[in-house]
Amino acid sequence: MKRILIVDDSFYMRTMLKNMLSDAGYEIVGEAPNGQTALELAKETKPDLITLDVILPDSTGLEVLKGIRQEQPDQKVIIVSAVGQEVIVNEAMEYGAKSYIVKPFSEENVLEVVSKVLAEDTPKS
Amino acid sequence: MKSREQEYKEIFIAEALEYFDALNRHISILEKEPESDETLAEIFRLLHNLKANSKAIGYLQISDVSHKLETAFSLIRNKELSFSDEVVKVLFDGVDLLGELIHNVDNPNYGEPDPLLLRNLDIIVENLSDSTIELAKVQRYNTSKNLALSELIYIQIRKLDHMMNLVGELMIDRDRILSISRELNSDELKSVSSHLYRITEELQYSVMDARLVNIGSLFNKFPRIVRDVAAAEGKQVNLVLEGHNIQIDRNILQIMADSLLHLVRNAITHGLEKPEERQAAGKDATGQLRLAAQSDRENVLLRLIDDGRGIDLNVVRRTAVEKQLVSADTARTMAEHELLSLLFEPGFSTAKEVTEFSGRGVGLDVVKNAIDSIGGRISVSSVKGSGTTFSMQLPTSIAVKGALLFEVDSIYFAIPLIHTEQVVSLDKDELHEVGGVLIADLKGETVTVVYLNELLNAPEQEMRLGDKTRLNGQVQNIIIVSYNNRKLGLIVDKLYRQQDIVVKPLSKPLEQIDIYGGVTLLGTGKVCLVLDVPAITRYFTQRRQI
Amino acid sequence: MPKTSKTNKKAEPETLKALPETTSAEVAASEAGKGEATVSESARELVSPEMVHLIVFKLGTEEYAIRIDQVKEVTVTPEITRMPRTPDFVKGVANIRGDIIAIIDLARRFNIRPDTAADGVNTSYTLVVETDTYSIGVDVREVPQSLNLPLTKIDKTPSFLQDVSVSENFIEGIAKTDNRLIIVLDMHKILTHEEVNQLPNL
Repeated sequence: MKRILIVDDSFYMRTMLKNMLSDAGYEIVGEAPNGQTALELAKETKPDLITLDVILPDSTGLEVLKGIRQEQPDQKVIIVSAVGQEVIVNEAMEYGAKSYIVKPFSEENVLEVVSKVLAEDTPKS
Repeated sequence: MKSREQEYKEIFIAEALEYFDALNRHISILEKEPESDETLAEIFRLLHNLKANSKAIGYLQISDVSHKLETAFSLIRNKELSFSDEVVKVLFDGVDLLGELIHNVDNPNYGEPDPLLLRNLDIIVENLSDSTIELAKVQRYNTSKNLALSELIYIQIRKLDHMMNLVGELMIDRDRILSISRELNSDELKSVSSHLYRITEELQYSVMDARLVNIGSLFNKFPRIVRDVAAAEGKQVNLVLEGHNIQIDRNILQIMADSLLHLVRNAITHGLEKPEERQAAGKDATGQLRLAAQSDRENVLLRLIDDGRGIDLNVVRRTAVEKQLVSADTARTMAEHELLSLLFEPGFSTAKEVTEFSGRGVGLDVVKNAIDSIGGRISVSSVKGSGTTFSMQLPTSIAVKGALLFEVDSIYFAIPLIHTEQVVSLDKDELHEVGGVLIADLKGETVTVVYLNELLNAPEQEMRLGDKTRLNGQVQNIIIVSYNNRKLGLIVDKLYRQQDIVVKPLSKPLEQIDIYGGVTLLGTGKVCLVLDVPAITRYFTQRRQI
Repeated sequence: MPKTSKTNKKAEPETLKALPETTSAEVAASEAGKGEATVSESARELVSPEMVHLIVFKLGTEEYAIRIDQVKEVTVTPEITRMPRTPDFVKGVANIRGDIIAIIDLARRFNIRPDTAADGVNTSYTLVVETDTYSIGVDVREVPQSLNLPLTKIDKTPSFLQDVSVSENFIEGIAKTDNRLIIVLDMHKILTHEEVNQLPNL
């Protein structure tokens, strides 16, 4: 079973994503409401995939992404953002985010993006 | 079992209400600190989440309003929209509307949000150029719509000033009644007047409290100013602000604003060196500038600390002699803190060449006057090569001040406590006649002492400040005052208690006489003259030089 | 308080004793009779005599007056607190209904020889004078009195007086009535700007 870490400061968003993904058969290894917890959990759980919100109370998705990249250069990350955050998303993609989901998301869209990214070959290090 | 939809809804509402409360909190903070990027970022995040969540669950009105507010705040963040009163009102209304919508997601009878309010939001978001005109028009409709009134009201400062004055009058009458009740020895009157005493005291503190603002409301203006001045001067400056939450009277802060601006500009322009120069001196290229506030009993202590080149005492000495503020001999023997206090002398710092060399001082006397006018104190310390610190001690509130009451030649006087260092009783024999003045040894410190009766009442041509025979009695009560780093002992005839007084300014033509800071009425109805320590110190200095 | 009293000639502060007054008609008639005024002047007075209401008081041996519109009130002088290092014509400050105002000794201000006959008199009166620039109390020995008279009764300051010294400008004119000579003061000029500044700026 593929293991996923959810990073989002909204409990509502985390709950939605958690339900969707676990219904689809993924294991949710953790939920982080802020950047600090995200970095700790990423290191601790080494998930197959991280869904990362771009606006966090203590940090930005971009900062978290950079932090994760330092420790886990091959970590797969999907950016979850609302409309209007295209600039950040583009920048995140440059930092190696695999794909992005725009809030509000549909269940199909989320599952499609997640399975596609997980299916990609991990570049061998 | 709860359906998943039901669960989502409950989570959504609970979280949305949390966001709503947090929004209210932060928007209030933002109102006080419109420059706070941190607060803006948090508001932005809250609205962003609210928008995303409500859109996901399908509450489109909420997401629409959130979106508009988010846009407005991003305009504010990008400085395309100022956080002005009109804008604040609409934004508060918008946040209130959000709360209304969240509370009513389950209410089928809830109609549509007020279209006028939505229009206001649109105006702010889309119609930047002439938004003010448009908004004013709509605001009138808004007031008629308001059912739930805001917890906050705006009040003109002059109304608070008026209240403060009235409280001052009331306190004077209260003291009067209290002393009459003692004279009449009526228990009933005593009990009523002591109740009146407590109530007026509480009233006084409430009014004082209503006038307090966070010092952060001034501090938050500095990051931008520092950035601009530093850029213009080609300096690198890291500004650290501390003590945002310290509270101080709004008028005092207003008076301090220009002075602080002056000092900050000076610190960057003259205090901090250019990056190359700093590095050559073995310092970090970026200069540190710290503006810190802290509470200090009844006062607020404000410090501006830079790690720049410091003040060259030799230049100060030379300049002071050139400007004939002191004689060359005096300048040579002056202690460091005495020399530094010369920076605040009028005439020291106005000359252009001085600032170029000494690096300090365009109009420090102006800063000092402003601080004197509110009964505060300022001092400076500096280490050549490592930086300068300006320390300001400011009263928290303006109208009521602690003062020491005393009597000289049957006249009542008061001196604000902010200028008094200590009170001592010395035997006449402990006072020495030296060089035309009296001096006393206070635990190893030599302090000049003056008999106030002589200074105030002797005909000027017969004044003998260094003549002990003019003193009355053997034991002398001395109030040690300090001004601009100089201590002076004032010998008084009778010393009374410490008391909170309400200082009334002198009206024309007497306001010209600056040895009096004002007058106050005592409980007995008697007039008590409030001495202005800076002026009395100057007068003494002037007299002893003759 | 009416600025000039045309109809209500008795208008005066309650605290003041009434002074025997000459009516405008009498004044005008007597003046015309003496032939000291031109015909046109007396004719104008008879039609619409412009009246001046003055508060008259004694300084030294002479009578002085202030226009009533410059006087806020007249009161028995309250306790005066001396203010050291102020000019000697400033007697001090007093609490008048919660307002702290300066009490001025006009006799000293004008270098007028005090009237020794008034020595031993304890009560004195204070005229609270209010102008747009300052508010002062003028301390006088005897009860001030009220007087109505036509404006024409006040001669402009004789030119030699004006020439003597600039500081004499505070004299608005000399009123002559019933063999009395009253010096009318212009309180707006009683403390000139220079004089206000002359207070020790320590």
